[in-house]
Formats: sequence, C-alpha cells, structure tokens
Amino acid sequence: MRLKSSLLLLPLLLAYTCVAADDNPKLSRVYVSFEGASSATVVPGKPSEVELRFRVKDGYHINSNKPKSELLIPTTLKLEPPSDLASEGVMYPPGKDLSFPFDPSEKLNVYSDEFTVRAKLSADKKASPGNFTVHGQLNYQACSDNACFPPKNVPLQFDVKVARASTGHHGTPQSPHIR
Amino acid sequence: MKRNLAAIIVVAVVVALMLFAGVRSSHRPRPSGPALTPSEARGKEAPDFALKDLQGKQVRLSDFRGKAVLLDFWETTCGPCKVEIPWLVELQNQYRAQGLEIVGVALDDSGPANIQKFAKEMGMNYTILQGRDAVGDAYGVIGWPTTYFIDRSGKIVDADEGLVSRAEIENNIKKALSIS
Repeated sequence: MRLKSSLLLLPLLLAYTCVAADDNPKLSRVYVSFEGASSATVVPGKPSEVELRFRVKDGYHINSNKPKSELLIPTTLKLEPPSDLASEGVMYPPGKDLSFPFDPSEKLNVYSDEFTVRAKLSADKKASPGNFTVHGQLNYQACSDNACFPPKNVPLQFDVKVARASTGHHGTPQSPHIR
Repeated sequence: MKRNLAAIIVVAVVVALMLFAGVRSSHRPRPSGPALTPSEARGKEAPDFALKDLQGKQVRLSDFRGKAVLLDFWETTCGPCKVEIPWLVELQNQYRAQGLEIVGVALDDSGPANIQKFAKEMGMNYTILQGRDAVGDAYGVIGWPTTYFIDRSGKIVDADEGLVSRAEIENNIKKALSIS
C-alpha cells in the first residue's frame, strides 16, 4: 500500500522537479529545428555531398551565412565527423533579401521557413566500409518582427555510409542492351 | 519488507532530484528580489543591480534614485534595437532636464570595446552598462529590446517587450516622470 502511494506521488514530484530545473524560458526556447539529412554514401577518395534540412519557426527569421552587416551574427554549421571522415566544406544557400516592420528601409539577408545547407564529406582511404555518425551544430541568432533573441545552436547528427573503394580494375564497359 | 525498501528508494531518489533542482535554481546568481516578467512588472520594485559602465566604473541602479529611469536591455546585433536607439538619444535630450536617466544594459558577448565603438557610431548619449545574464534573468529578459520604465521611487510603472512605437516609449517616460 505504501509502495503504491509512493508510486502515485512519483509523477507529481518528478513534474515539480522538471519545472524547477528548467525555469529559464530564455534557454528553453527553440527557433530552428533540424529536419533531417539526405542519405549519403561516401567512397574513399571521392567526396560526396549531404543535404541538411532546417526549419525556422513561423514568425521568426535568422541571419543568412552572409548577412549584410558585420554586426549581425551569421548562421554557421560546424561538423565533427568521426576520425575516418572529414568535412571538405559547407555550402550555404543564398538568403532572402527581406525588410521587416522594425525598419522597412533596410533589407536584411535572412533564412526563414525551410532552408538546406550542403556539406561535402570525404572518407579516409583506410576507412572501413560501414555506417558512421556525424555530429554537428548549427549556430544562429533568431529575430521576430520586433525583437531579437540570444544566439543559440541546434545540435544535429546524421549517418553516412562509407562504401568500399573501387579497385580500379575496370573491364570493357558493357552495353546496357546486352543481357 | 522488500516493498518497504523499494518505497524508501523511490522516495529517496525523488527527494534527491528535488534537492538537486532546488539547489541548482537557488545557485543561479540574481540581483536582489524575485525574477520579474515584463508583463507582470507594473507596480513592483525594480531589482537593484551593480554593473560596470564602458569605462569600468561600477554603477548601481539605485544610484539613480530620485530620477525616472528608462532601463533598456539591448544588444549590438539586434536590428530592432538599432531602430529604437536614435529615439532614445532624442528622448534623453528632450527629458533630461525633467529628471530622465536612460540606462542601456548591453547584453552582448562582443566586449566593451565593440560596444563602445557601436555606441559612438550611434551617438548614444546615455549611460551604457556591460550587462550580465543574471541581471537580464532578474528582469525576465528573453529578447531585445526589453524596456522598463521606473519612477523616481524605484517602482516599475510599465515595461515593453520588443520594439514599440516612439510615441509609446514617450508616453511611458511621461508616466515614469509623473508628467502628463
């Protein structure tokens, strides 16, 4: 009976604990979500691109990677591939030139709604074939029509398949019509 | 017996979690008084704090007691703040003689040199302080600009979250100065 009572109290007490521990709305607000990555297969010696999709919460925008002012914080992606993989560069989409009610005379270069960042990955020649997980984070500063919010980052991870490197012994190409 | 032991363990774990949460919450450095939110701040005493200005001199909010204070939380990368700042410059000139003191708290990671450069470019003619998150948290600041209007006795007469019109700012300044 006592055990049952304790178990009944548990959810309430845990809820209280969670509320007490996470009482800072500044930290808990999220303006950008990671929506997933395209499937990527990397062959050693042949870099491959992966597309990473993000969504900006309705009513907000974030600076593009090349905002029009040096004062603005650009959106950047940092990847931490495992030791057998390497990041060969990140390609950001162009932002949209938009003006906002707080200053209709100035256009800012921003991402809103959905945007896709491409990353080029390569595999070490000694990499074993298989699946690897790449971790990273997107750093951004979000603003609404009348306020800006502290810079934040959205953590992300995606899988990359490393395929066996071709041996280089290619025979005579076979016609697709021959069966 | 086993059931009692299980119950004790469950309760002990929960109490430990609660204590952890409570300790974590109470260890967050905050200026005096409970945290405010702009929407519920009217009539409450403005929490006092001490921050350094851009010359490194310590300034307390209570140093301005006897004056009406417009306390503005802002940041150099904030577009709406750049719209508001020229208005604040004008309003400081307009109402200085009547006892208005505008205090801008820069919640900015870029350092005092960058804030100073920005302030010079914008012609900011009022007190600028180097903010700390604890002060922003005490005032419930989750975005910029966030503006509090404090009367001569240190009571909050109004607060705005985000950019509002120049006319609304001026009306709130008049409320803080008790002029119509």
